[in-house]
Amino acid sequence: MRVQDREPLSRSLLSALIILLVAAAVPHFFHLHLWITLFFLASVALRVASMVRPELLPGKLLLFLLAVAGLVNVTLNYPVLFSGETAIALMTSMVGLKLLEINTRRDLFIVVFIGYFLLATQFLFNQDMWMVGYVILLTAALTGVLLENSRHRPSGNPIKTYWKSLALLLQALPVMLVLFVFFPRLSGPIWSLDSPDISGITGLGDSITMGSISGLVLSPAVAFRVEFSGPKPAPPKRYWRGPILWDTDGRNWTRGKPLTNEPLVMKPNSPVIDYFITLEPSGRRWVMVLDLPKAVPEQAKVLGDFQVIRQKPIYDRIRYQASSWLFYNTGKITPEELKRGLQLPGNITQRMRHLVEEWKSVAANDLDVVNQALRHFRNEEFYYTLRPPLLSSNPVDQFMFESRRGFCEHFATSFTLLMRLAGIPSRVVTGYQGGEYNPLGDHLVVRQSDAHAWSEVWLPEAGWVRVDPTAAVAPERIERSFEFDTGLADGLLGAPIRFGNVHLGMVGNMLKQLRWGVDAVNASWHRWVLGYTEERQSRLMHMLGLDFLQGRRLGLAMVVFAAITVLLLGVAIWYKGRNRIDAVYADYLRFCSKLKHRGITRRDTEGPLDYLKRICRQRPDIKHGATQITQLYIKLRYSHSSGKNDQRSFHSMVRRFRP
Amino acid sequence: MKIKPPDRIIRISHSDPQGRARIRPRHIYILPTRYGVIFALLLLLLLIGSINYANNLAFFLTFLLAGLGIVATLHTWRNLVDLELTIGNSDPVFAGQPASFTLHLNNSRDGERPSIQLQIDNLPAATTDLAGRSRDSLRLQRNTSKRGVLPLGRVTVSSHYPLGLLRAWSYVEMDATCLVYPKPSTTRPPATMQGYDRSSSGDKGVGVDDFVGIRPYRPGDSPKHIHWKALANERGLQTKQFGGDRADRLWLDWDSMPGVEREDRLSRICRGILDACDREQEFGLNIPGTELNPSRGQNHRHRCLAALANFGETA
Repeated sequence: MRVQDREPLSRSLLSALIILLVAAAVPHFFHLHLWITLFFLASVALRVASMVRPELLPGKLLLFLLAVAGLVNVTLNYPVLFSGETAIALMTSMVGLKLLEINTRRDLFIVVFIGYFLLATQFLFNQDMWMVGYVILLTAALTGVLLENSRHRPSGNPIKTYWKSLALLLQALPVMLVLFVFFPRLSGPIWSLDSPDISGITGLGDSITMGSISGLVLSPAVAFRVEFSGPKPAPPKRYWRGPILWDTDGRNWTRGKPLTNEPLVMKPNSPVIDYFITLEPSGRRWVMVLDLPKAVPEQAKVLGDFQVIRQKPIYDRIRYQASSWLFYNTGKITPEELKRGLQLPGNITQRMRHLVEEWKSVAANDLDVVNQALRHFRNEEFYYTLRPPLLSSNPVDQFMFESRRGFCEHFATSFTLLMRLAGIPSRVVTGYQGGEYNPLGDHLVVRQSDAHAWSEVWLPEAGWVRVDPTAAVAPERIERSFEFDTGLADGLLGAPIRFGNVHLGMVGNMLKQLRWGVDAVNASWHRWVLGYTEERQSRLMHMLGLDFLQGRRLGLAMVVFAAITVLLLGVAIWYKGRNRIDAVYADYLRFCSKLKHRGITRRDTEGPLDYLKRICRQRPDIKHGATQITQLYIKLRYSHSSGKNDQRSFHSMVRRFRP
Repeated sequence: MKIKPPDRIIRISHSDPQGRARIRPRHIYILPTRYGVIFALLLLLLLIGSINYANNLAFFLTFLLAGLGIVATLHTWRNLVDLELTIGNSDPVFAGQPASFTLHLNNSRDGERPSIQLQIDNLPAATTDLAGRSRDSLRLQRNTSKRGVLPLGRVTVSSHYPLGLLRAWSYVEMDATCLVYPKPSTTRPPATMQGYDRSSSGDKGVGVDDFVGIRPYRPGDSPKHIHWKALANERGLQTKQFGGDRADRLWLDWDSMPGVEREDRLSRICRGILDACDREQEFGLNIPGTELNPSRGQNHRHRCLAALANFGETA
């Protein structure tokens, strides 16, 4: 224990710590409860005030009471204990209090570490590029505090210290890259703070409440993996069928009673696709199959609406074989399906009726109505965004005519409702769309973030037909989802992408180009940074020709590559900082050694002038040359004139010197 | 955190005959400090969190900080490597007083070397920040308890720059010594020293041969005997006294204190020397093995005290 540990903190370091910790906490303010933010800010204000008037600093008892108050504040605003949000709220409150307790250099370390931790938690809420920049700048600043603290006396130059810590981070970058690329990624969480029971796993539910979700959390957790026995279906054909929703009150969509009929015999229009699915535990009874199922796994049965369910909920990972048709005709509709497929809620508004009447007036048949509706979604200003505004009691009306921004659930439920209004039997289908292909394992990975909702309408000639209104608005969602770029829209927070056939001027075109550029950068960001998963890691290893690196070997490779990187860094750092005898001194030493061979050895304690005197005494014949050399040496060495010409002539003088 | 490996296996740099030592790359040890250990725990926590939330940006920050820790190891090591130490002067002290050793540090590199710490045993350390291409001197103090030659011992040169998470150190054995005189006794040696002082009173002011001392000026004193130098030093008017061959030459004699224990005897003689010097009296020293003829002045004082310090130590 060093004495320094107990030394009081200098005022400048203390101020720096307060500022940096507040800066590290600020982004949390946007999603924390106001009361938590206020508590934090009050602690900071007290700390700042006590820098001016030290008697304001709370004692041990008061600090304890404040901690209790902070705890109560958190529990009042966050009723759910053991959730990630509660933990962040608690941490932010306690960080504020910790500021009141910084006294010595020892506390400084703790506070800096808390700062690092706080910065890491920011990524749970915001994964934008600018946030990474913000975190790096603050990490460098916190590191700068450590740099400054480890000096004996303050450097008095904060800018220089900041540059130095940025340089340290830059040197840490290669190590970081090696660890990032090679650290073995796991496919699932070790434990989950947010879902104590298994049914809370993010993913499909058995109902949709439109407008209740203002943000879809994209979880890269794997939902299931698929191995195809034959050729794979094209990405836009990869619709994985889950629960079918029939009943609605205008806001909620639920499955309702299961259909009583057996599934109708299908008339397949395409060859059968066989595949194996490894399903992660979901806590639900349904199993996923490719649209539309032909043969279903054992212990499962197909309901009348082609939903496949098991007897018991799935709590363990299961693997099953199934086969499907991509093109089909389900034929006739049953009276029960007809009745339920046309049910309408009570909150149909006049403008909804008008809209549907408009479509019907120009349509020759039901298919035309469907196309009219899709054209409406495509041509009007509908936006696809993962952060739609909250909707009120009549969400469909509000969505169709006012907000016009939403994700698949909004489009699917609105479309279904409007179809029913037009007298076309329809239902909402939930499931997954897409999947990421892993060439190494030769399988498709479908993630929770691939969850999707679409619509099915019954047309007399075709039977139940899948219609995906989201595809009309945001074809990218369907075409690109196999690249785990569903998060694409997340990157464009607050600036929803517009997918409409509107005429753009030159400026508009430029903006569009710019948006494509931003889009491309975002796509790479999502693909290579945020979406760097187990699959992508093995794909990268494959590309690098390092296929054998898997699991434990990958970890070993990480250690080896990191060691090599550190070794190279060490050599570079040593080389840069080695003791360099400067050229002038080296030349002078040569001059001395030439004289040494003639028997005039310079003594350790002898300065250049004394040495010169002795040389002149012993060898008057070389007096001139030796004097010139010594004088120039003194000039170069002690007058801080680094004249390049002088250095060069000094060098040649010494070279020509012949005692 | 300090560990003490057995002397046999640790690497120690030694100073060369010119009293210089250079810290060589392979002589540097490095271990995390307490904060370094906490930092490692933080990294572990961050890693577990990153894995759990499968959050690649959290991985990014975790690995960046891990890289920072590794880079800091290299920098901490580099902060010491090729640092040069040179032995400086150390003034003799009396036993009981702290001995202070001066060590010169030389940074012959363009970059700075902040937070260089020197320490012997567990005594208070001396720290400095060395700028690029600069020298600095640090003093290390060591308590003394007995007379003799006090070696500086093993110096631990350490640094925890740049982050304070790691501490690099190196052992340097410097050939520096400090002479420790005996502690002056409170008991004066016997007023009348046995031996060969020919008269206890002398013939002050009567003879003309040898200078024996000074006394305040009295009217009638010869101007030739006025101590002009003392006057110039503003010590008042004083008269130099000269005596004949019966001058009062003080002999500090080992044998004058029979029955007194050895170290105590040396202490008392030490007191006698100091008193004699205060009175600017001429004195000689006679201890077994060493006999120094009566003289005066700083050099004589040092020679006598050194003889006491080294008594019985060397052949």
